Amino acid sequence: MIRYSAITIFLLLAAFVIQQFLPAFTGLHDSRILLVQLVFLCCAVTVGPPTMLILAFIGGFFWDAQCALGPHGGDSEVYTQQVESMRFGYSILLFGGMGFLMQGLQPLFKQGKWQFSALLSGIAVFFYLAAEYAIINFVRGDLVLTRSTVLQMAYTAILAMLISPAVFWLLFFVAKNCNHSINPEAGRRTRRRSAY
Amino acid sequence: MKPLNLIALLFFLGGAVWALTRSERSVREIQAAYYSAMSPFLKSGSKIETHARKFLEETRHSKELEIELEETREQLGRLRLIESRFRTIEDENKQFRHALDFKKATHFDVVAASVIRRNPTTWWQTVEIDAGSNRGIGTQLSVLSNEGLVGKIDRIDNGGERSSVLLLTDEKCQVAARVEGSPEVGILNGQRGGLGGDPMLRLRFLSANASVRPGQRVFTTGRGGVFQPNILLGTIESVEKGALDSEAFVRPAVNFANLGAVFVVLSAES
Repeated sequence: MIRYSAITIFLLLAAFVIQQFLPAFTGLHDSRILLVQLVFLCCAVTVGPPTMLILAFIGGFFWDAQCALGPHGGDSEVYTQQVESMRFGYSILLFGGMGFLMQGLQPLFKQGKWQFSALLSGIAVFFYLAAEYAIINFVRGDLVLTRSTVLQMAYTAILAMLISPAVFWLLFFVAKNCNHSINPEAGRRTRRRSAY
Repeated sequence: MKPLNLIALLFFLGGAVWALTRSERSVREIQAAYYSAMSPFLKSGSKIETHARKFLEETRHSKELEIELEETREQLGRLRLIESRFRTIEDENKQFRHALDFKKATHFDVVAASVIRRNPTTWWQTVEIDAGSNRGIGTQLSVLSNEGLVGKIDRIDNGGERSSVLLLTDEKCQVAARVEGSPEVGILNGQRGGLGGDPMLRLRFLSANASVRPGQRVFTTGRGGVFQPNILLGTIESVEKGALDSEAFVRPAVNFANLGAVFVVLSAES
């Protein structure tokens, strides 16, 4: 269990490295594979709340460290209405929220129905982006929502959904090698069926 | 709720509050530490990308390269002619300036850099360039291309070899701008949710009855202490008049989808 949790943390950190080299798909409204969020979501459904919260903190903290923008600078008499920056650390709460959403599907996942989790990971990515965009609108004022923005979020969610089976496969592989079962009820049912 | 889960939740909320209350300086320190940890991966990633690009270039048909070489030779000859003409004009210009005791035109001291990659963010428009503090680059310096203003330096990496550029298309990049051939000045910035393919800029705070029309060019005013004056920003596409002020939509002069070489302005004498 501890070994598996440690590996999920390592996988999340590795996702940060790989994310640097994943380009945006210009043909799909600049959508991209949000690997960090995806790995976090897939891990979140396979671990308990304490590990999920550790992963959420690490994920959100490093995501903000990667993306935070500096102050505008310049003469405040000329730039009187400066555009607000997002507060460092807001992603930690977003990651936490997404993690709890995924934990809600844990009973189904434990029964071996990982497909629901794969579907939800895409939906969670969409909600994550929508929440982030809503915060930007709230902080900076004016609600600006274009068709392109919605499509960008939708395509990003679909990409996450398509990649999630691969991440789940990796997690099953890791769990097997750590002698840890991430869907014990499914395992029990399989054993029962083979006994008959 | 299990006691362990409750304790974990309290620790998580405590950690989130701690992160949310970090000062600007500590955020920059955290970012510097993050990027210095990431630096070896980014370096090796860039190397692999360069090798891959070279390999792909080598596999191009030799005939194609021959044609290209021939065309380049022709162009080189033409450019040499233009250059010699340019030198003559420059010398003449110098003499005239000296004779008329002209003030020196704005002169930029620049550092050339290449765009390595776009940063993997959804909402922020930033790119990374292969020049940092080791070449005299600091934050808030303006970045140009041969087409116009690209943006400004937002962050320098610890190693001093890279820096991050906030693009003009980002909503947070504000530029004091003026419209050519009119007394109108305003603040230009990117649009929220403006995507990379065909981004438009917003020129706000123009006067209510602003006499600006599509096709007019927009330049920096030089006010505000960040950007030098008279740098081309773009061309007005449309104008929306309001009761209190007007707003113009500007097509950027720079092709942000195909950014290659850029120049960081270290200093500018006026």
